[in-house]
Amino acid sequence: MTNALDILTLRAGYGAINVLWDVSLSVETGKTTVIVGPNGAGKTTLLRAIMGLVPATAGDIRVDGQSRKAMKTWDRVADGVVMIPEGRMIFPDMTVEDNLMMGAFPPGCRRDWKRNKAMVMDMFPRLAERRGQIAGTLSGGEAQMLAIGRGLMEQPRVCLIDEPSLGLAPVVVDEIFRILARLRAEGLTILLVEQNTSRALKIADHVYLMQSGKVVLSERGDRVDLERLHALYFAHETAA
Amino acid sequence: MLELTLQALFSGLLAGGYYATVAVGLALVFGTMRVINLAHGELVLLAAYVAYAAETNYGVNPVMAIPVALVIVGTASAIVYALLSRINQDREINSLILTFGLGIILTNAILSIWAADIHSTSDPWFQDSMVIADTLFAMNAEVAAFIGGLVLMAGVWWWLNHSWQGRAVRALSSNRAAATLMGVNPRKIEILSFLIAALLATFAGFAIYTGKTVFPALGHVLTVKAFIITVLAGMGSIPGVLIGAIMIGVIESLTVTYLSASLQELAGMILFLVVLFVSPSGLFGGGRALAR
Ligand SMILES: Nc1ncnc2c1ncn2[C@@H]1O[C@H](COP(=O)(O)OP(=O)(O)OP(=O)(O)O)[C@@H](O)[C@H]1O
Ligand SMILES: [Mg+2]
Repeated sequence: MTNALDILTLRAGYGAINVLWDVSLSVETGKTTVIVGPNGAGKTTLLRAIMGLVPATAGDIRVDGQSRKAMKTWDRVADGVVMIPEGRMIFPDMTVEDNLMMGAFPPGCRRDWKRNKAMVMDMFPRLAERRGQIAGTLSGGEAQMLAIGRGLMEQPRVCLIDEPSLGLAPVVVDEIFRILARLRAEGLTILLVEQNTSRALKIADHVYLMQSGKVVLSERGDRVDLERLHALYFAHETAA
Repeated sequence: MLELTLQALFSGLLAGGYYATVAVGLALVFGTMRVINLAHGELVLLAAYVAYAAETNYGVNPVMAIPVALVIVGTASAIVYALLSRINQDREINSLILTFGLGIILTNAILSIWAADIHSTSDPWFQDSMVIADTLFAMNAEVAAFIGGLVLMAGVWWWLNHSWQGRAVRALSSNRAAATLMGVNPRKIEILSFLIAALLATFAGFAIYTGKTVFPALGHVLTVKAFIITVLAGMGSIPGVLIGAIMIGVIESLTVTYLSASLQELAGMILFLVVLFVSPSGLFGGGRALAR
């Protein structure tokens, strides 16, 4: 069976500054793959390269075995590769409902937008209560739920989620991870970037550790030893 | 005295209607591309001269020439977009220089084809006046332009709020990367906004030709006016632009009635400066063009 996503010796960066150095990793269909790593490791850059928001200068990006390196971002989205970005990036001047409808913008998603919206509203009752509210007035947790809901409206084949728990209160973090666990149980293919290592490991089928633009550890989720991971994590931090 | 004031207010209101159609086009393009199209007024002018040519050279009612004008102005607008989208360095300043230059080229092309004379329609229906509530006078053309402008802007407003593409326009003006992540191709949306700006400009051009007078230097005046209105309104929304446009129209009309026609442009500019001084983000705050 082919993987949902294969990254092969990928290099990418910002103009003259290269960030990713021959990154290779795979995301198995229907599984949750987690990337952990310190600030500045290049996790967000990797997700942006997968979306085509930063250009890949070498290597390849394959979705279901087919190269997507030359595709434009919006075509990758239409193809089912969806990113729920770091910092949520909701549209603050639009209503909650309009934000969700933007998620259904890819032509293939428009037909079922009502059904998908009902599904999202069912998953996030708080959003249902606030459907007419301007999104910029939502709390951090609600905004993150909206960002996830909007991503689900895009009918993802592969869903890239960048630090969904960042800056949220502990109870809200619990809620976000409950939702991620539910999505995993429903069989969504997820590539999750998280700094909250211990929480992320509980829902990980596979874990990668990134440091300085490289993958330094690849391990099955149930085999990862949190202490060893943290040792590696901080070994780098103190060395740097 | 009261009657004179009421008439001035009414005329200002009518003028504000077509000013708003010019300004909404400018604001729409600014929203999607973050570019002030300094050739926007010249697009309006181009439409007005198509109406003039249709009437004088071909003897047809200007209204019948609207489809032709739409094609010509739409093409001109698309060319402006094509040139703008090639800029990849120092976009802010280079786009201003480019569109300013394109405006000069358009003005001079019009000047060399139609000379510097002042024109207006010779069709009597447009110039006939109607009386409203026994005291207020207006030309048929002014009333038609006002109502048509409102309908057109209501249509654009509806489109922005309730269509897939319109929502994408708002998303793009709010956060470009996020819109792209929703599957929006920014170039498609940008060209669409240029075409809708061309539609509004064409309408405004016909309104001016039938209800006012046209001359080659007018394009520049309209660009400045549209810019002032857009900034005045804080670029917040179509209703905001409409209110800003009516304010400019009314101030101008009161100035013409009570002071002097030569101070008309100055009055709008002073209002603009006062509003910016008191409230730097415009009357309705915001800053994101047509986000609501
Ligand atoms: N727009 C940019 N232009 C230039 N360099 C950038 C840009 N964005 C990120 N970088 C650099 O790329 C490197 C990787 O950043 P990236 O955001 O991918 O890290 P990250 O692992 O997501 O970190 P965090 O956990 O803080 O989100 C950093 O050194 C950063 O300074
Ligand atoms: Mg990051």
